[in-house]
Amino acid sequence: MGFNFDFALSTVPTIIGAIGTTLLATVLSCLGASALGFTFEMIRRGGGAPGLAVRFLIDFVRSTPVLAWLYFLYFVLPFYGIRLGAMTVGILGLSLYYSGYLAEVFKAGIDAIPKGQQEAARALSLSRRDTVVFVIAPQMLRNVAAPLGNYLVSILKATPYLAILAVPEMLGRAFDIASETYRYAEPLTVAGILFLALALMLAYGVKRIEQRLLASGRR
Amino acid sequence: MLAQDPLPVSAINTTPQVQVDGLNKWFGALHVLKDIDLTIRAGTRMVVCGPSGSGKSTLIRCCNGLEPFQKGTIQLDGVALGRNARETATARRLTGMVFQSFNLFPHLTVLANCTLALRRVFLKSGREAEEIAMQHLTAVRIPEKAQAYPAQLSGGQQQRVAIARALCLNPRIMLFDEPTSALDPEMIKEVLDVMIALAKTGMTMVCVTHEMGFAREVADEIVFMDEGRIVEHAPSKDFFSAAAHPRARLFLDTILSH
Amino acid sequence: MLEIWLGILQGLGITAKVTAYGLVFAVPFALVFGVAQFLTTGLTRFLVTAVIEFWRSSAVVVLLFFFYYVLPVMGITLSALTVSALVLGLNTGGYASQAVRAGLQSLPAGQREAGMALGLSRPAILLLIELPQALVAMSPTFVNNLIQLVKATSLVSLVTLTDMTFRAKEIAQTDYDPVAIYSALLLAFFVVCYPIALAGRWLEARVNPESGTPRGI
Repeated sequence: MGFNFDFALSTVPTIIGAIGTTLLATVLSCLGASALGFTFEMIRRGGGAPGLAVRFLIDFVRSTPVLAWLYFLYFVLPFYGIRLGAMTVGILGLSLYYSGYLAEVFKAGIDAIPKGQQEAARALSLSRRDTVVFVIAPQMLRNVAAPLGNYLVSILKATPYLAILAVPEMLGRAFDIASETYRYAEPLTVAGILFLALALMLAYGVKRIEQRLLASGRR
Repeated sequence: MLAQDPLPVSAINTTPQVQVDGLNKWFGALHVLKDIDLTIRAGTRMVVCGPSGSGKSTLIRCCNGLEPFQKGTIQLDGVALGRNARETATARRLTGMVFQSFNLFPHLTVLANCTLALRRVFLKSGREAEEIAMQHLTAVRIPEKAQAYPAQLSGGQQQRVAIARALCLNPRIMLFDEPTSALDPEMIKEVLDVMIALAKTGMTMVCVTHEMGFAREVADEIVFMDEGRIVEHAPSKDFFSAAAHPRARLFLDTILSH
Repeated sequence: MLEIWLGILQGLGITAKVTAYGLVFAVPFALVFGVAQFLTTGLTRFLVTAVIEFWRSSAVVVLLFFFYYVLPVMGITLSALTVSALVLGLNTGGYASQAVRAGLQSLPAGQREAGMALGLSRPAILLLIELPQALVAMSPTFVNNLIQLVKATSLVSLVTLTDMTFRAKEIAQTDYDPVAIYSALLLAFFVVCYPIALAGRWLEARVNPESGTPRGI
């Protein structure tokens, strides 16, 4: 059969056409994972029974594969009458899976702020809320920007898992072409190159932003 | 510096501004403050000294509610600290605190460090807050750095900004927790000069420090602590000429001999 | 319930086999390419980096399908087990190579200089002085990489291997009880990975006592 270069080229537009779905899944999953991870970290910080429960949940999520979570949500939610689209389930799964990692990122970002900052805020009589908004959050955001960017790249690389739930992102489109033409090598090669290029570009962008932040930190 | 006369005491009035009674504090099993009784009258400039681990920093951190305590009472202008959140907040607003490690907010400019509490706590307008802040930055002789970030300043400059930031609250009492201990020797003087100038305005000051030259020049009263207790509390003159307690004398000999 | 659990555990053998076989690829790759990236410069370093980035920056799902479907077209026929171990192993090895390099780079230059002052050759310095320190310092990261590898083996269910994930799907076809089946699957992985994570935390506390934050998993 051999590798047909012209056929490979002809699949490029179709596969690239799904880049929007891939990027949308990446961004929404990253936002979901950040929101969930931050919430988990806040509950964990609060301690008590909820803190312990979240601590265990984070350990559990980090000890289990993302594929198992996708199947779990995909098959279990309908069992309880919750019918969601494959894309939604996929984004939920990635959000949940990565929230365990992002909780650690937020933890490290907050722990890295010296204790004196909170004391100074208290000595200035700032309210709890103002302390978080004006003192803790801006410093935390600077601390977490770089690792958060790295996880954005990781999440991009996890989005082809959604093809398994038949979400028409780039790998899913490649499989569609493969099953229509019975040729797997070409569309999968194209999808592989596109994902690699996208991941490298995103990683490069993240690194640039990180360097700029570092430079402004030295101000 | 050492030969100068003590400052005139006419500014000292007799109402107790800080009243500490039977204060006890534990860190876990460690008993760090033991039956502290202390009265600080308005206008007093008090230096608290003692060997490290004697509880002096903990004492002044208790005086603005940064550290909780287990037994006893602290009142600032008659308002009790640590009894309930509302009174603690009221009492804390009477104090300004300067930390050993400055604790400026690194993501805010010098000016924004000073205006933050004015705007958020005292609800001043942006312009009003900036005016007040500039006034205090001028007083600590650093108005030209208003737009700089803390990381761009030397340690001495940062600590002067921290003093200005605390003064912006218009406090009745200024608390200094070893304000020069984290500074390189050549920067200590610029900070002490600012503190001396502040002392001359009649501000009530409580300062934990090892700078005995500063204590001799500025302080009205010296409190010497050891192992969680106040072992000597005397007018500055008496303390330096004839400290009664042997531990205080030993401390003075050690610290003045180098 | 017990039947489901036992059914899924039938796949544990394949999960363990792919992991072990994967390590056969991952460990040498991480050592050789991590050290090479540390030692080389210029064009050589660029080529070494390119190989690492291919394995590390590609999406592992795409890599697995790519090699599973493309190698036969190029006349290379490997068993599903070998392809899976190769892809998952080299992907993990790509991540671990970065830990090897970072571990070597973070050693103080004085270590190498002291070795040179003792008259040791460059390879001797690397083997006797630098690598032992770097590998110990980065060992908690390697444990994390191992956990990632175990979790990634769930992918082999997509290329016909009967691992735990595959068994779960098989059971789901005959037995409509998704809640029990997929909960059991998650639990099965937790039972395998969590002890490794705890071992990693123990290691982290030994290697890096001052860091208060356990990084395990």
